Amino acid sequence: MSAAPAPPPALATRDLVAGYERDLPIVRGIDFSVRQGEFVVILGPNGAGKSTLVKAIAGLVPIHSGSTHLAGEDITLSPVQEKVRHGLAFVPQTENIFATLSIRENLQLAADILPRGRQAAQIDEVYSLFPDLASRRGARAGNLSGGQRQMLAVARALVVKPSVLILDEPSAGLSPKIVGEVFARLKALNGAGITIVLVEQNVKAALAVADRAVILVEGKLRHEGPAATLSSDPIVGELYLGARARQGENGR
Amino acid sequence: MNPQVLIDGLMAGALYGLGAIGVTLTYSILRFANFAHSELLTFGAYAALALSSALGALSAGLLEPIAPFSFGWALPLAGLVAVALTGLLALAVDAILFGRLRHRRSSIIVMVMASFGAALTLRSLIEFAFTSKPAYFTRELQIALPLGQGMRATPDQLLSLALAAILVIGVHLLLTRTAIGRSMRAVSENQALAGVVGVDVRRVIRVVWLLGAALACIAGIMSGLLVQLRPYMGFDLLLPLFAAAILGGIGSVPGAMLAGLIVGLAEAATVQLVGAEWRTAVAFVILVLVLLLRPQGLLGRAQA
Ligand SMILES: Nc1ncnc2c1ncn2[C@@H]1O[C@H](COP(=O)(O)OP(=O)(O)OP(=O)(O)O)[C@@H](O)[C@H]1O
Ligand SMILES: [Mg+2]
Repeated sequence: MSAAPAPPPALATRDLVAGYERDLPIVRGIDFSVRQGEFVVILGPNGAGKSTLVKAIAGLVPIHSGSTHLAGEDITLSPVQEKVRHGLAFVPQTENIFATLSIRENLQLAADILPRGRQAAQIDEVYSLFPDLASRRGARAGNLSGGQRQMLAVARALVVKPSVLILDEPSAGLSPKIVGEVFARLKALNGAGITIVLVEQNVKAALAVADRAVILVEGKLRHEGPAATLSSDPIVGELYLGARARQGENGR
Repeated sequence: MNPQVLIDGLMAGALYGLGAIGVTLTYSILRFANFAHSELLTFGAYAALALSSALGALSAGLLEPIAPFSFGWALPLAGLVAVALTGLLALAVDAILFGRLRHRRSSIIVMVMASFGAALTLRSLIEFAFTSKPAYFTRELQIALPLGQGMRATPDQLLSLALAAILVIGVHLLLTRTAIGRSMRAVSENQALAGVVGVDVRRVIRVVWLLGAALACIAGIMSGLLVQLRPYMGFDLLLPLFAAAILGGIGSVPGAMLAGLIVGLAEAATVQLVGAEWRTAVAFVILVLVLLLRPQGLLGRAQA
C-alpha cells in the first residue's frame, strides 16, 4: 500500500500572468502555493503588483496566461461570483464594505448564496465572533469607524465559512492598537483552520502572525521563507525592508 | 386656485413617478442615462393596444367595459402580455447594444448617445407600424365622479392612482426586503465588490431591465388610457421622467415617486396660474434647479 497522497495546496497559482490591459502584464509569471491551514503574508514595495495578484486570483483582474487552483481544482476561468462558492473569500484593499447597506444587510448579502436554512445560523456565528458588530446590526456600514469597517469586511468574508481567506492590506489607515486587534483576530481564525493569505505593508506586525512570507517585486516573486527568520535575512533587507527603512518606516 | 389642479397634478405625477422609478433603477445600476427608456413606455402602450384589439377580435365580450371603468378584460390581459414583451424588448436592446458597449468598457457618453439612437429607432418603428395618428384603448366616455371640494376624477383615473401606489410600495419592498433587491442595491454601490461576495452582476442587470421595462409599460398603458396613444407619447415624457428621477435622488424609489408627484403638481399649478404654454418648461426648470442646488436629489445619497 502506498502512503496517502499529500493533500493539494489550499491555493496555488501556476505561471500566472495578469494585468488590467492585454499588452501590459503587471503580475509577470508567478508560481505561488499555500498549504492547507497555512498563514502566508505577501510583502513588497508599493506598486509591486500585490493587489493585482490577489485580485487576479479573486477574479477581478483579467488573467492573461497561467492558472489558479483552489484545493486542487482549477478556478482560473470561473467568474468572480463563483469563486466564493468554491470557498475562496476575498477582502479588497479599498471599498470593501457596502457603505449604503446596514451591517445586517452586508452580512445577509454574503449569506444569500447559502442554502436558506443555514443563513441565519452562520450570520449569528459571525456576530458571536464580532460582538461590536452584533450590537449595532441596524447601523449603516458607512457610519462605522475605520477599524469597525475592516472588522465588518472580515466578518462579511467569514459568513460563508471560506476555506481560504485573502485580505489585501486590512491594516491600512488603522491605528497600531486596532491593527493588533485585527491581526490577532486573523491569527485566531487561522488557528481555527482557515487558510489565510495576507497582503501587507505593515511588515513587522505581519511577520509576527504569519507562518511564511513571500516578497513580490515588479510582478515577480523574489524571495520567500519562514516569517520568523525572514526579517533578519539580508536579501530581504535589500529587496524590501532596506527601502522601507530608508523611508524611516519600520526601521529595524 | 381651482382644487381640480390637485387631481390633475396627482394623475400626471403618478405616471411620471412610475416612469421615473424605471429611469432611476437603470441609471443607478447601469450608470448611464438611458434616453430610450421613454420609448419603452410607448412600446408598452402600443403592444397592449395591438394585443387588446386582437383579443377583442377573438371575442367581442372581452371589449365589454368592466363597470365602472371604460375598458374591458381585453386591456388588463393584453397589459400582462405587453409587460412581458416590453421586458423582452429591453433585454434585446441590452443584448444587441448596451451589453456590447459595457463589454468594451465604453464611456458613459457613448452609452448615452447609443440610447438616443435606440430611442430614435424604436420611435420610428412604432410610428411606421401604427402611424402618427392618435389611437385609443376605448371610445367609452366616462363620467367624472365628484370627490368633494369641487374635485372630480374618473374611475379610470382613480384606478391608475391606486395601481401606481401599489407598484411603488411593491418595488420599494422588493428593493429593501428581498435578496434580489439587496443584490441590486449592492451592485448599484459597488459592482466589483458585489461580484466578490457572490452576486451575479449580469443577472442583476437583467432583472433591472425587466423591472424598469415593466413599470414603463404600465405607465405607458396608463397614459394611453387616460390621454391617448401617440408615437411621441414617451418622448414627450422624457424631460419630466428625468426631472423626477433626479429630483428624487438617483437610486431612490420613494424619491422617484415623490418627485414625480411634485413635478406633476407643479405642472398642473403652472398651467392654472401662468398658462398652458409654460407647462413643458416646468420640468426643465425643476431639473436645472435640482442640479444646481441639490444634485443628490431629495432622498438620494450624496455621491462619494
Ligand atoms: N485599476 C488599474 N488599472 C490599471 N493599472 C493599475 C490599476 N491598479 C493598479 N495598476 C497598476 O498596477 C501596478 C501594480 O499595482 P498594485 O495595486 O497591484 O500594487 P501593490 O503592490 O498592491 O501596491 P500597494 O502596496 O501600493 O497597494 C501599478 O503600476 C499600478 O499603477
Ligand atoms: Mg495594493
